[in-house]
Amino acid sequence: CLFTFLCPRSRESAEGGRVIVEVDDKVAKVRNIKVDSRLDGTWDSREKTVAFSFDYCYWSVDPEDPKYASQEMVFQDLGTSVLSGAFRGYNICLFAYGQTGSGKTYTMMGTPVSHTIHFTLRGLFSRKDDYSDQTASCRVKVSFLEIYNERVRDLLKQSDRKKPYTLRVREHPETGPYVQGLTQRLVTDYKQVVELLEEGIAKRITAATHIHNASSRSHAIFTIHYTQAILENNLPSEIASKINLVDLAGSERADPSYCRDRITEGANINKSLVTLGIVISTLAQNSQMFSSCQSINTITSEGENSHVDSPSVGSISGTRRPAYIPYRDSILTWLLKDSLGGNSKTIMIATISPASSSYNETMSTLRYASNAKNIINKPRVNEDANVKLIRELREEIDRLKTMLMSFELRNSSPSWSDDRDGNLTELVLQNEMKVCMIYLML
Amino acid sequence: MAAAGGGWAAVCEKFRTARTLSAVESRKDPETEPYRSKYSARALLQEVKQLLSAAEEGGEARLLAVRRAVLEYELGVNHTDTEELSAGEEHLQRCTQLLEPHRLSPDCVSLYIQAQNNLGILWSERDEIKTAQTYLESAEALYNQYMKEDGNPPLDPSEHFMAEEDKLTDQERSKRFEKAYTHTLYYLAQVYQHLEMIEKAAQYCHTTLKRQLEYCGYYPVEWALNAATLSQYYLSKQCFMESRHCLAAASVIFSQAEQVPSAEDNETEQDQQDLRQRKAEIARCWIKYCLNLLQSARKLLEDNIGELDPDRQLELKAQRKKEEDEKEKGRKKAVLFGTSDICDSVLAMEEKVSSVYPLDFQEAREIFLVGQNYVQEAKEFFQVDGYVTDHIEIVQDHSALFKVLAFFEEDYERRCKMHKRRIDMLEPIYADLNPQYYLLISRQLQFELADTYYEMMDLKVAIGNRLEELDSHTIKKINSLAQLAIKYYELFLDSLRNPDKVFPEELEEDVLRPAMVAKFHIARLYGKLITSDSKKQLENMQTSLEYYTFLVDYCEKYPDAVRAIETELELSKEMVGLLPTRMERLRAKLCPFI
Repeated sequence: CLFTFLCPRSRESAEGGRVIVEVDDKVAKVRNIKVDSRLDGTWDSREKTVAFSFDYCYWSVDPEDPKYASQEMVFQDLGTSVLSGAFRGYNICLFAYGQTGSGKTYTMMGTPVSHTIHFTLRGLFSRKDDYSDQTASCRVKVSFLEIYNERVRDLLKQSDRKKPYTLRVREHPETGPYVQGLTQRLVTDYKQVVELLEEGIAKRITAATHIHNASSRSHAIFTIHYTQAILENNLPSEIASKINLVDLAGSERADPSYCRDRITEGANINKSLVTLGIVISTLAQNSQMFSSCQSINTITSEGENSHVDSPSVGSISGTRRPAYIPYRDSILTWLLKDSLGGNSKTIMIATISPASSSYNETMSTLRYASNAKNIINKPRVNEDANVKLIRELREEIDRLKTMLMSFELRNSSPSWSDDRDGNLTELVLQNEMKVCMIYLML
Repeated sequence: MAAAGGGWAAVCEKFRTARTLSAVESRKDPETEPYRSKYSARALLQEVKQLLSAAEEGGEARLLAVRRAVLEYELGVNHTDTEELSAGEEHLQRCTQLLEPHRLSPDCVSLYIQAQNNLGILWSERDEIKTAQTYLESAEALYNQYMKEDGNPPLDPSEHFMAEEDKLTDQERSKRFEKAYTHTLYYLAQVYQHLEMIEKAAQYCHTTLKRQLEYCGYYPVEWALNAATLSQYYLSKQCFMESRHCLAAASVIFSQAEQVPSAEDNETEQDQQDLRQRKAEIARCWIKYCLNLLQSARKLLEDNIGELDPDRQLELKAQRKKEEDEKEKGRKKAVLFGTSDICDSVLAMEEKVSSVYPLDFQEAREIFLVGQNYVQEAKEFFQVDGYVTDHIEIVQDHSALFKVLAFFEEDYERRCKMHKRRIDMLEPIYADLNPQYYLLISRQLQFELADTYYEMMDLKVAIGNRLEELDSHTIKKINSLAQLAIKYYELFLDSLRNPDKVFPEELEEDVLRPAMVAKFHIARLYGKLITSDSKKQLENMQTSLEYYTFLVDYCEKYPDAVRAIETELELSKEMVGLLPTRMERLRAKLCPFI
């Protein structure tokens, strides 16, 4: 997993507030103005600046600044790793996360050209061209969907006004999680994709809030299905990979039904009693339980709470595992399940606004992004089988030691006549065979 | 009052419209203008406020103050709803200031509590959870104080803008007041959860559910699901009685929802589907209940090699006799849900499965069977096609039920058959699974299959040991089971290879231990293969040695790995030391004269 943090253009200049974020190589520093402006000698123990480190940090506030990072630069780091992964058959998932207004949509989906997505596609197609005269051939299909209030809408299909959200997420054992009835368009060149992309963006729901006049209130996933047909040892075979480009809804959204609640650690209170279950399910997750039922266990990310102690060897026979909680992860995490761990590469772009007025949101975005670095999908070992095996092996080692020791003793004993030695060797061998049989049976 | 008569009626009407806009109309706002109705409501409220201050002189000061407080409250909530927290806070603060002197009187107490509820929400949105806690706890205290000192159904805030004849009945007043307090408790539950006061949070959730039932303020399906979720919390605390109670209540309340014939015929297929899904989800909670009860019992009963300890069994049986009645009843009172008729159904439901640890096979089997029934029920909805992950999780639970039941079974042959059942259910789903999309589940299944084969082999060895002599059939069986276990461990290790089929130089931290344990188990399995052919035996020993060596070498190269596999490493080192000598002896035996 690679995590990228990006400090984009902002509405900062329009607002005239103070800049509170600094970027220093791979570290982003946020200054807390509230603390800053207090008189010296306050008893506040909070740090004035908080530093977060990431794999990459970009500063895109002022084009004049020497540290200024253009979309081109962002792409070079990002796009290259996306592409190389996709060609090798990995699933790739690229997230943009951050407060509305901090430029996330700008990075992922927004206005024409010079966006990650475009770069990625351009890269794909140029690569495709390279291959055209060789044995390999490839197909690119795209789909584009939106998740709004936990409902899925196809962005590449003329929507029925009455029933805009009817798609269900399902899973197939062979093809993985999918959206039933989602349009997949076969594309052959870069221009087609851009058209589709723009068509979809136009359909996306954006609503006026006070923070941003075109803030995204929905998640959008643009998926590129990339299939390469190759000859492997003269046998035709296929490498399939999926690139998901995910634009997460603005992080200041307060709607509890939003899946954001499942992936961030916002302290908001859900107002409606109907969502009571969400509260209890986090309770149950916090107090994970003892059980030995699973050999390997998957833990979905719940930020810091998901850290599981690696089992202390030999002392406990059992793995901790939360009980079943009947609140499904959000549609978003469900759809991206295969992209959030295992054989996939995940890239996170956290965008923040350097303005002081966004201090809280900035902090929560950064906290989330640095927690996301800890997302783990850990298989675990069934310790009770292991404990048994260890015990048994210990016994065997003791037996082996005793046995070999008795050999050494005998070998070092002098003055046996050849004749007797021969007989004895015979005897010992017989003994050994017995011992051998005994422990084989154990 | 000067503005009385027509003027007042108009004010009331405006106020009512504003409330409707905010509560009802706003739900229909277009997605592109989510706050349209809220903003209209705000404008109306402001008009009302103006009218009120125009009528200020001459009116009764207290009455005016309370009315103003109602408006401040509504405006405060309105601003909070539209993401303008600071303005919202100001209004709400003004509301509580106006009410402060009268907060214990029947016309103010409900409003005051609701204002504090909203201040709690507001501060939680600012991540100042402690401040939120202060407001909510003070609301809770106020409720308790009012109920103690007065206790009469207080006025609902909306009544301050109502004509005398429209005023609410005592019953309705009480219902609304209790609802406001239920919200206080629910918000407190969340606050405690955020503060990681887990037990307290759970207790408040429980009380919230209980009150919803008492005051009939619930949707059966949601309530049932919430109760089922709470049961999972109790499970994690090993409180099986509470867990069972929640589940039984969930099932009873859910069946209410099923019985109500759909009010309108146009109930969509989607709704039906959702209902079936909820039912299956509650069934899954029951499965977990049965499974956890059995597994916890196993933990209590097993000796240090994971076998049933008869002494422990006797001890626990005696202990259970003593404790049985007294303790359970005392605990039960505190958590009981529902009014008497619901209660009877819940108790009837509870009787179907025990909530005490099973101590012998018979008792374990009863719980197992209940669990197995729920497995069937859950699988009806969660079919492979469409619900791969859920389906497999249920099958894994089914397998786990068999595994823990096998622990209680004394007869090795029958025990072995139970494990065979696990294989029979796990192997086909594993085969159908595309590891590209379900890598983690595939790995879980590989490991579980390997472990199960290992367990069966162990049992066959134990059975063989009871015989006079190992017959060739048993030896064959043992070897083939060991080979299958090896096969699945190898499949797991293969899943770690990169797309170019190369095993990683350095293992990711999350798979380090599983990978090492798999290597270690394979090493052991090669050591256990039975053969009369000494050459073959040498070969197996050689392979075994290679796997042990892998562990040792890896840890030498990456010392950080040692932490994860200390014991395995220690034993592997010993084996790496001992095996070559042992093989030397064997070789010598093969050709004694060289």
